[in-house]
Amino acid sequence: MTRPSEDAVVKAARREASLAFGMWAIALLYTVTYCYLNGYGRSAEDLTFVLWFPDWVFWGIIVPWLTCVVMSVVFAFGIMGDESLGEEADADPESPTLASPEVHDA
Amino acid sequence: MPDSGTAVGYGTLAMLVIVMAVSVWLGTQAQKAVERGGFMKGYFLGNRGLGAWALALTATVQSGGSFMGFPSYVYTYGWVVALWIASYMVVPITGFAVLGKRFAQLSRRTGAITIPDLFDARYGDERVGLLTSIFIMSFMTFLMIAQFKAGALVMQMAWPGNESLAVAQQPIVDGVDEQEAQAEAIRQREAHETRRRRAYLVGLAVFSATVVGYTLIGGFLASVWTDLFQSVLMVIGVMILFAAVVPLASQGGLEQPTLNAIEVTGPQYAFGPGLPKEGLPPFLLLGGAISFFFVWPIAGMGSPASMVRVMACKDNQTMRRSIVLLSVYNVFIYIPLIIICICGRALLPNVAVGDEIIPRLAVWSTRDWSGGSLVSGLILAAPFGAVMATVSTYLVVIASGVVRDIYQRMLRPQAGDLEIKRVTYVVMILFGLIGVVSNIQPVNFLQTLIVFSATATASTFVAPALMLAFWRRATAAGTTVAMLAGAGTILTLFIIGSVASGTAFQAYMLFGMEPIVWGLTVSGLAGVVVSLCTTPPPDELVSQLFDAPVQPAPSPG
Repeated sequence: MTRPSEDAVVKAARREASLAFGMWAIALLYTVTYCYLNGYGRSAEDLTFVLWFPDWVFWGIIVPWLTCVVMSVVFAFGIMGDESLGEEADADPESPTLASPEVHDA
Repeated sequence: MPDSGTAVGYGTLAMLVIVMAVSVWLGTQAQKAVERGGFMKGYFLGNRGLGAWALALTATVQSGGSFMGFPSYVYTYGWVVALWIASYMVVPITGFAVLGKRFAQLSRRTGAITIPDLFDARYGDERVGLLTSIFIMSFMTFLMIAQFKAGALVMQMAWPGNESLAVAQQPIVDGVDEQEAQAEAIRQREAHETRRRRAYLVGLAVFSATVVGYTLIGGFLASVWTDLFQSVLMVIGVMILFAAVVPLASQGGLEQPTLNAIEVTGPQYAFGPGLPKEGLPPFLLLGGAISFFFVWPIAGMGSPASMVRVMACKDNQTMRRSIVLLSVYNVFIYIPLIIICICGRALLPNVAVGDEIIPRLAVWSTRDWSGGSLVSGLILAAPFGAVMATVSTYLVVIASGVVRDIYQRMLRPQAGDLEIKRVTYVVMILFGLIGVVSNIQPVNFLQTLIVFSATATASTFVAPALMLAFWRRATAAGTTVAMLAGAGTILTLFIIGSVASGTAFQAYMLFGMEPIVWGLTVSGLAGVVVSLCTTPPPDELVSQLFDAPVQPAPSPG
């Protein structure tokens, strides 16, 4: 007997979760590396500013933060799918979906 | 040097009373909405009708810590705290795009109302649901208790006549000899402390009665609607405070606040690892900076309160819009707050209790404004709202755990709506009382307590939640072990840290990393290994939750 095909929501959710983790990893790598190299162990003499921010805060945190906002828009409206989440099952604690012998013993 | 002390007027308290009144009114409106459907799904899940604004701005990303602990850290340690909070840049994506879609789908497919419901249905094993429920209630109770203190502190500060924000560093004593002056100083200090203490206790009582009251009336929807209202207040509060404080501190140029702050603290205020504090380790070394990219995004994703909200969202489009809304919202909350607190250090360099920096700035910066007392009240309403919203959310999650997962599932499956409603009310009042009693002697280290609980929650639930949503081979045993291993790792590291340092709630930073990194790692590994070593889950059950529904064959003819 052939297995039914995997649900489209599951496939899409896996792909989107992978992309989200990818964004998280890139943000971590860039921000922590940049800030550690440029914001630690410096003296105040060579400190410069962009707006209110010390240079390392602006380039290491503010710029990637704003980039993430743009990426979020792209992700939400360009990448994320719009699959149906499905119909509501019975919410009763003794409902067949949650506690039927078929489910427990299958 | 400016004096940070300024007495608050009645307008400040009036604004807080208005916020409380609106919250109670929203609770009553929520009650009407709940009554339109069944009690359980309406009261604990809002009939799965959350829209984009409600979902984005109420996923409990802002708490008392956002307005008390975090500003206190910026004020105390300087610009490095921007790195400490920087991972909020990806919180909207990780919060909604990793688990959101699958949890929303699975909860519909199984009819789950609570997170333990979902674990139970996924594995067909009530024991997994029960364990989930016990962990949620334990950690959420910790988180909730920490918030009660924050709520009471804001009420204390807003109380007219208690001079909570008006105390100068040294009592003013004139025309008496030194011995008398000292005695007078002690008397003044004691009287001041008595007034502060009285205001704190009144604040605790009023705050608790309000938040428990409106949550009890309207349940999940009351929590969501008041959360939304308070989130809007927060952004308004932050914008007003920015407009009031930043121009004052930036008169000599935009870099002036930092330069002034450096002058009164030291050059390390502008750099990592932050301004050193005597007797304390450096604030944020490399390991800590990496760790906090796990703490905020992963802890947000693994928070049961956030998971419930995505289960309640209306549809996929709602989730997509929420990602964008929350991304923009975070920019308007966290970045201005950092600038405000750096300016705060330049303007009010000697605030002894860092947690008070936002309220002090609010009162101080609006002292000469016409109606300044009302404006400072509006600004103070922001942290107050954040705290109320967080307590309300946790109360609903805790009550749903006790009522749905223990009382209804284990003890009285035949209980009717009326009985469930009564038990829910009793549970909420009981946990409200726990919050009050635990804070009569207020807990210290608000932010540390929040970090501990959030870390433990994430380490317990993130790996099991990912396994539940995406891994067909995950088993009940693997999930159980993953939860126990995550929680056990965090508790072990906190116990070692507390014993080694002699300080309560002190984490042991293995290889310089926060416990969450180790908790997640151990939990994930344990979950995978044990799942692979145990009997695979039944195909039928897995197929029901992972595969496309089988369409009925068309009838011949």
